[in-house]
Amino acid sequence: MGDKGGATLARRFSNAVSRNTLRLRVFSVLFSLVALTIVFALTTPNFLNFQNLKVIAFNSALLTIVACAEALVVITRNLDVSVGSIIGLAGFVAAKFAAANPGSGALIVIVAVSIGLLLGLVNGLAVAYGKVPSIVATLGTLAIFRGVTYIVGSGIEVPSGNLPRWMIHGADATLLGMPLVVLLAVAVALILAFLGRGLPILRRVYAVGSNPGAAVFYGLRANRVVLFAFASCGALVGLAAFLYISRVGTITVNLGRDWEMTALAAVVLGGVSTTGGSGSFIGVLFGALILSTIDNGLVLARAPEFWRMFIQGVAIVGAIALDSGIERRIQAIFKHGKG
Amino acid sequence: MAENPDYRLRVEGVSKSFGPVVAVRGVSFAVRAGAVHALVGENGAGKSTLVKMITGMLRPDEGAILLDGGECRFGTTIDARRRGITAVYQDPKLFPHLDVAENIFMGFQPRGASGLINERRMYAEARRILDELGVDVDPRSLLARRSVAEIQFVEIARAMIADMRLLILDEPTASLTPAEAGRLFEVVGSLKRRGVSILFISHRLEEVRRIADDVTVMRDGEHVITAPASSFSEESMVHYMVGRELKSFFVRQEPPPKGAVVLEIAGLSLPGVFKDVSFSVRAGEIVGLAGLVGAGRTEIAEAIFGIRPPSAGTVAIDGAKTRPASPGQMLRKGVAYIPENRDENGLVVELGISSNICLSVLDRIGKAGLIRRSTESGFARPFSEDFEIKAPSLHSAVASLSGGNRQKVVLAKWLATKPKVLILDEPTHGIDVGTKAQVHKRISELAAGGFPVLMISSDLPEVLAMCDRILVVASGSIVAEFSREEATQEKIMTAASRVSKAGARAGEAGDGR
Repeated sequence: MGDKGGATLARRFSNAVSRNTLRLRVFSVLFSLVALTIVFALTTPNFLNFQNLKVIAFNSALLTIVACAEALVVITRNLDVSVGSIIGLAGFVAAKFAAANPGSGALIVIVAVSIGLLLGLVNGLAVAYGKVPSIVATLGTLAIFRGVTYIVGSGIEVPSGNLPRWMIHGADATLLGMPLVVLLAVAVALILAFLGRGLPILRRVYAVGSNPGAAVFYGLRANRVVLFAFASCGALVGLAAFLYISRVGTITVNLGRDWEMTALAAVVLGGVSTTGGSGSFIGVLFGALILSTIDNGLVLARAPEFWRMFIQGVAIVGAIALDSGIERRIQAIFKHGKG
Repeated sequence: MAENPDYRLRVEGVSKSFGPVVAVRGVSFAVRAGAVHALVGENGAGKSTLVKMITGMLRPDEGAILLDGGECRFGTTIDARRRGITAVYQDPKLFPHLDVAENIFMGFQPRGASGLINERRMYAEARRILDELGVDVDPRSLLARRSVAEIQFVEIARAMIADMRLLILDEPTASLTPAEAGRLFEVVGSLKRRGVSILFISHRLEEVRRIADDVTVMRDGEHVITAPASSFSEESMVHYMVGRELKSFFVRQEPPPKGAVVLEIAGLSLPGVFKDVSFSVRAGEIVGLAGLVGAGRTEIAEAIFGIRPPSAGTVAIDGAKTRPASPGQMLRKGVAYIPENRDENGLVVELGISSNICLSVLDRIGKAGLIRRSTESGFARPFSEDFEIKAPSLHSAVASLSGGNRQKVVLAKWLATKPKVLILDEPTHGIDVGTKAQVHKRISELAAGGFPVLMISSDLPEVLAMCDRILVVASGSIVAEFSREEATQEKIMTAASRVSKAGARAGEAGDGR
């Protein structure tokens, strides 16, 4: 085959790359995080100290939970762009409930999570059983859920002073020097990562995303699996909404606006394939950390706010472009059976 | 195999229709317990439909399927699997992002007391089954990294975790090397010794002769014969497979053309797909590409048209050589390719007939970039009349037309581009007999007018009626060439089912790991 040496070397290289693409993907996330940290550490004086790193972790905690929820849906080869509005509705109703029933304790968490679950079920039913493409269905519910929040809110806001004390304190509480919410977010990612290996239904989430056509042959009932993904996404986002309202000053009907974009950015940066079937929740945790590191670095570097949006957008498109390249390779190997 | 009176699977008077098309008609046969039973027949003989009914993917309209004497009414493939029927398909139905063991156990993972998957047991079991199959595959490796052969063994391993009574292998060797196929047959042999029945679908008749105990031949959706494999020769099998009559009123009469060579293909190769394909088509000549589904005919056509750029070789049109790189380039050179799936690839069904015909020539008929409806109809009318397209008006949406009329619109659309060469992929697939004859007549007229036509068809009678020359493609190479006079269905089928040792898999040599 012509130029032997060069061709063989090139083929070997490309084979090596394709063999390890999935593994490379996860490492590239970690690598970018480290690289980013080094860049900011060198360029921004107040960046690399324990206090600031704690701020970064704190800021990324909520995002981690929402992004892990989003990842569940993305792994099934779907999208949920309504998570921002789920935060809004679940959070606002929970806040209103908490303000009206001061002694209700843990019931507030249940309210937030149940509303999230309900909204997730609505999305899941529309996608899995209504056969509406997920991006369209959730774009619709993005508007619907927000609209309902406006109706429920009818122009009022809930100041955090009206919330029970324990919620406000809980938001700032620490354990062994780490904010509680950070530990919770890490726990969510770790538990999902663990269950993602061992829980049969979560393996099905991966299987359905990997090859929806084959799922039928395995009798996996893809519909149920997709519904499960959307519902658990909603419930987790409901949990995040509860955590969110405990720490913002005033809970407005605009709570959680634009979060879908940030969550999706964390998911793709974290190495979850938008074409489904692969992705790790630990990767998502790193993805959220990357975004929050960028945010923090830019603030410290006194960069204007719009840079944040710009970089977030570039990160999404870049990560997806990288990803579709990898996916093409996987499909190519799979089709022609050349390992 | 000793005579075994009890039958594992009995198919009794099974029929299945899709709309007006009868795919399987009153088929009955039986598979003995612990026997390898081959199911052979041409493309479209109804084998796949039959398999889908056995595995529960389709329900028969009539008749019954009995497993070990009990009637099966499967709602899904899972029901069939629970009863011990599993199928391994030619194209992998697996999960590329997951590892080998997970693919084997998906849906049936061993669980621990906690309800979580017992990974250690899963990987150990996978290892054990793969060892038993004699396949050296790491259960923890990603499926996407495995070769086609290994993936097929994974599918068989998957079948083995259940209590398997009937294993269906649908053209399992189509993409295997001879050595890999040999391994597969060993596995088939050991399964057979354990009493598993195997229903084996293959186009490779020497394989059938080698491993099958019994053979059932199907033709045109009907059962032809079931008999011990030893009572067949390859020739007699082919004889039973072919012999379909031409269900068209049109037979081309023109003498073989003596025009100049217009399309010349030289050494076209694409590793793993086809290899060293060379042939030419003269002005006024209709050349047929015959062969089995998956032999690489469509891929060759797509390469000539630039959809699937070849890695070596040239295409010359009127003597001007090029290496196809994109459809745009080949369109400009005068190649028109009409794909098999005309709705997906050739038409905008929401638009009217005239708009569709004008679609590819908009820049030519427009004025200052704008197109008037009347210009469109004026341009489209002669084409529509030539083809006798039956529709209320030229503006009728293509979606409202019958399959045959849609095909005519596609042909008209491409002819409007004034191509030099016409490539047709299954031009009459799925259209009714009368329209078929009209399409045949029109294609024949085009050729008579000096057009070179390259036609892919799995319909042997059609190939025989239409083509001046017939090239038979098998495993990505042209394995035989017949003139219209010498060609018979038997000769073509025999050539197509034969796997030459040398070209067993195109590109096998050049495609390192």
